[in-house]
Amino acid sequence: MGGPVLFGVRHLSPAAAFHLRQALDRAKPALVLVEGPSDLNDQLKWLCHSETRFPAAILAYTQTPPVRTILYPFSIYSPEIQAILWANAHDVEFRFMDLPSSVFLALAPDVSPSQPEEQDPSSPAQTTEMVYHRLETLTGEDHDTFWERNFEQLENMESYQAACNTFGRQLREASMDNPRRTAETLVRESYMKRVIQQAVDAGTPPERIFCVCGAFHVAGLEQNQPMTDGEAAALPHTDTHATLMPYSYYRLSSRSGYGAGNKAPAYFELLWEALCQGQPANAPYLYLTRLAAAHRKAGNLVSSAQVIEAARLAQTLAGLRGSRRPVLTDLRDGAITAMGHGNFSELALAAADTEIGTTIGFLPEGVSRTSVQEDFYRQLKELRLEKYRTVELQRLDLDLREKLNVQSQQAALADLRRSFFLHRLRVLGVHFASLLPSRQEGANWGEYWELRWTPETEIEIVESALLGDTIEGAAAFALREQAEQSGSIAQAAAIFQDAFLCGMPTAARHALTLLQSLSVDAALLSDLAETASRLSLVVRYGDLRRFDPQPVIPLIQQLYLRACLILEDACICDAKAAPAVTAAMNQLNALPLEHDFLDDGRWRTLLREISDRDDLNTRCSGFAMAILLERGEVEEPLLSREVARRLSPGIPADLGAGWFEGLAGKNRYALIARLSLWRQLDSYLSSLDDSSFRRALVFLHRAFADFSPNEKNDIAENLGEIWDVHPQQAAEALMQETTETERAVLDSLSDFDFDDI
Amino acid sequence: MSEQNVQRLPAEALYQTELEALIAAETNPIPTGWRMSPRSVLTYLTGGKAKGIEITPKYMGSRRLVEIAIATLVTDRALLLIGEPGTAKSWLSEHLSAAVNGDSTKVVQGTAGTTEEQIRYSWNYAMLIAKGPCPEAMVKSPVYRAMESGSIARVEEISRCASEVQDALISILSEKRLSVPELGLEAPAQKGFSIIAAANTRDKGVNDMSAALKRRFNIVVLPTPSDLETELHIVRTRVAQLSNGLDLNASQPDQDTVEKVVTIFRELRGGATLDGKQKLKSTSGVLSTAEAISLLANSMALAGSFGAGTVSDNDLAAALQGAVVKDEEKDKLCWKEYLENVMKKRGSQWLPLYRACRELND
Repeated sequence: MGGPVLFGVRHLSPAAAFHLRQALDRAKPALVLVEGPSDLNDQLKWLCHSETRFPAAILAYTQTPPVRTILYPFSIYSPEIQAILWANAHDVEFRFMDLPSSVFLALAPDVSPSQPEEQDPSSPAQTTEMVYHRLETLTGEDHDTFWERNFEQLENMESYQAACNTFGRQLREASMDNPRRTAETLVRESYMKRVIQQAVDAGTPPERIFCVCGAFHVAGLEQNQPMTDGEAAALPHTDTHATLMPYSYYRLSSRSGYGAGNKAPAYFELLWEALCQGQPANAPYLYLTRLAAAHRKAGNLVSSAQVIEAARLAQTLAGLRGSRRPVLTDLRDGAITAMGHGNFSELALAAADTEIGTTIGFLPEGVSRTSVQEDFYRQLKELRLEKYRTVELQRLDLDLREKLNVQSQQAALADLRRSFFLHRLRVLGVHFASLLPSRQEGANWGEYWELRWTPETEIEIVESALLGDTIEGAAAFALREQAEQSGSIAQAAAIFQDAFLCGMPTAARHALTLLQSLSVDAALLSDLAETASRLSLVVRYGDLRRFDPQPVIPLIQQLYLRACLILEDACICDAKAAPAVTAAMNQLNALPLEHDFLDDGRWRTLLREISDRDDLNTRCSGFAMAILLERGEVEEPLLSREVARRLSPGIPADLGAGWFEGLAGKNRYALIARLSLWRQLDSYLSSLDDSSFRRALVFLHRAFADFSPNEKNDIAENLGEIWDVHPQQAAEALMQETTETERAVLDSLSDFDFDDI
Repeated sequence: MSEQNVQRLPAEALYQTELEALIAAETNPIPTGWRMSPRSVLTYLTGGKAKGIEITPKYMGSRRLVEIAIATLVTDRALLLIGEPGTAKSWLSEHLSAAVNGDSTKVVQGTAGTTEEQIRYSWNYAMLIAKGPCPEAMVKSPVYRAMESGSIARVEEISRCASEVQDALISILSEKRLSVPELGLEAPAQKGFSIIAAANTRDKGVNDMSAALKRRFNIVVLPTPSDLETELHIVRTRVAQLSNGLDLNASQPDQDTVEKVVTIFRELRGGATLDGKQKLKSTSGVLSTAEAISLLANSMALAGSFGAGTVSDNDLAAALQGAVVKDEEKDKLCWKEYLENVMKKRGSQWLPLYRACRELND
């Protein structure tokens, strides 16, 4: 043919990388062209830098909001990287040949930045996805497995290249591209062709040009015409920045879609190493022994016999599927069956370690200028926070309320937006601003911050580039990660609160789902009540932060219902636990009063039930009565009947006094005003014999301990009236020195032996 | 002819034509002691076509699990099927041995009363006393016979056996021979011998299996049906088959009713609503597919014998109450929460059932 060598590859494929190097050795080209954005050739030298460790990614992003990005992730086993490294080592010229990233970003304005994988430039994902899907239904395996089984195990370079090119060609024929995708592919291919043509025009003989591109594009590069100057000039264009950034295997594995990610990067690296050592047949054993080692390290027992059995089983499974060597799914299934007792969950930790790994790339210093940094500075300017970028500590007071006397909506909510921004930084662990405690009780519209800039802040921002492309995106990712790790309902509630403060409804909804699932297992009444009243706050004040409280409501309903269902049982408790229960009851009581969507009838019925029952902690029963009293649900006769019943002589003193303590836990003025109540208490006390009286005294002491002096005074006046004592006379009597005998009596009362209780 | 009135035929008799078609159409290599290749066994279990004969799928679930089970038997390892009650463990083991050997009847039923002799061998005592120890006096266990003939023996409910009985399997599985000291005999297992055991995970009165025994098995965990559609399909087919056999005099429960029952079962079993948005407390009972089937058949029997002939919401509510609330204290709470948080919000279609259920709980 005499044309350029077109080597079709699959991105992130070890076999492709391996065979590619052989092909390069054989072809000895004068120029290597790699599929990648041709305006970013200046990044190539850094990829070849001796300090660079993979995985690394090239990130291109628009300079104006909304920030759009494209990411080109590379791993050591990426064919593109191996081509570049080979060329660099052999002093052969090399460069990218695909459409410039500036054109890409201008071409794809309809793709929203929240779906980065769909923007992946190197994959015709949406369309070939259909073909892959059909393949999956036919083979019963996902297409990564299909590829590994049929292509990764080819050991001969020619047959690999032939198979790969055929696959690409047929994929091209079979995929029913939508017109937009087809057009994009054609534009890209004719651009690549143009780059090749330019190289030929510049004097490189065509047969000494070596092109590395996706197998899909091989046919396109053979058939299409190069782009003309006029066409090239007509391409849309936007201002972009690009940077290299260190990448991680974890991120690589969490991105889906062909070319953008790879579910098991550590396993693929292992395949790559085995290939480089010339012993690809060892890879299955390497994988299984590493898995076993990781499993042992996690504290489990794995015998060599089990590993052997796993290897045999994997081999047989591969045979059933018609491949020579086991692929990842075979190995994994073999390991689950022979080592994991049939449960993947047992091996999950070890598998994550062996398949994904924790490798993080490294770049020489000063190479990165990430989009998160850009975004940070832009927002700093937009929110007029630049003056705070000093080493000096400065105060910033925010008023979150909407300002009605300004022109634009933007300005009206400026402080709220600042608050969102600062909270997001706080979530990211960027120590630029710290929140001071609120100065005024209940004034939730005020927020007080201290801001200070340090060199570490810059580093922290760069680090957050691993989490996302913008401050908001990174904060969302950080919250999501925290959420996945949180195990308690309190943690989840805190994360929800953070999301709420950051003004990120999606993250908040996610935290809410988590909160819901954790709350199902939460058996503690106090947790439920606490969380419910916290969420209730969000519903009541959500408007201030422009937060739609609708998704919170069902959760409050659930928490409220569960708390109602378990409250009765929670009331069977000892004196130590009772205060926590009454506190929870108090919180719950506020909920149906605040929100119409909660069933108040259920609450009232429940309270009556608790107040009536004799077998619960009497303090809880008393408190239930206090709530009913406060709500005006108790008629006078009922109250006096209950007091008589609870404080009758047969009842043990601690129970009776405990009930009274509960009753006095709330709404004291109403109690003090009811003279009849005190009359009953008085007659109860006088009916007790000496020892019972002493017992009761302890609990009464406690019941009245947190009454204010004024209240005590009122009670004393009540009692005076009952005993027909004139207040003035009483005062006189009390002012006198206590006599010896009186003191002795008083001392004997406080001389109670607590061991009895 | 006498077969006609047999309540239940073994799998190899029931699906004889399919098995024969598969054997006739065989093109792949057959392992020693097997009647067909592993791929044909797979076809037999997951469905397909052979020589123009439709092979009905026997196991409706992950094809991959069946592959692992077959591959285990090819590598002459023993296979342990684990799963909740009603996940087709015995069903799968019966059909596996029917396909591999054409004989699914070498079974040891594990119970608390199973003894070691039932795993190894015992004696015909009359003959033992008359003739002394001799081969004729020996009563061979199914496992012994399987070793001799190089075929598959099945052990059902292995976790219900006492641990010394389980331990008897260890030496058989590792040495692959059985010694009969009374006769001075060492019986080696022929090629093709293997054991398929089945064990329950969530049941009362099960014995833990020792690590030594577990290590000798390849373990496959059978899941409950993966999605609503599959389970609906299984339930509908089985309910129809059952009611035909039992003459229940009631019309088949409609699509809606089956879907409601399966939905409730799946949600309570999985501890989350089907859309995954809401986590739920799951009940202490198992709520297997098999239980859903029998619940519906029961409601049909109720409706047919005492009701109008169609399953009403009240019948269903009573049956559900019985199935879900097994442990009075805990399950009742879960069920009440489910009614209020999930069922009540499902809209008008669910309302009658919700009311009927709520009535029983107030």
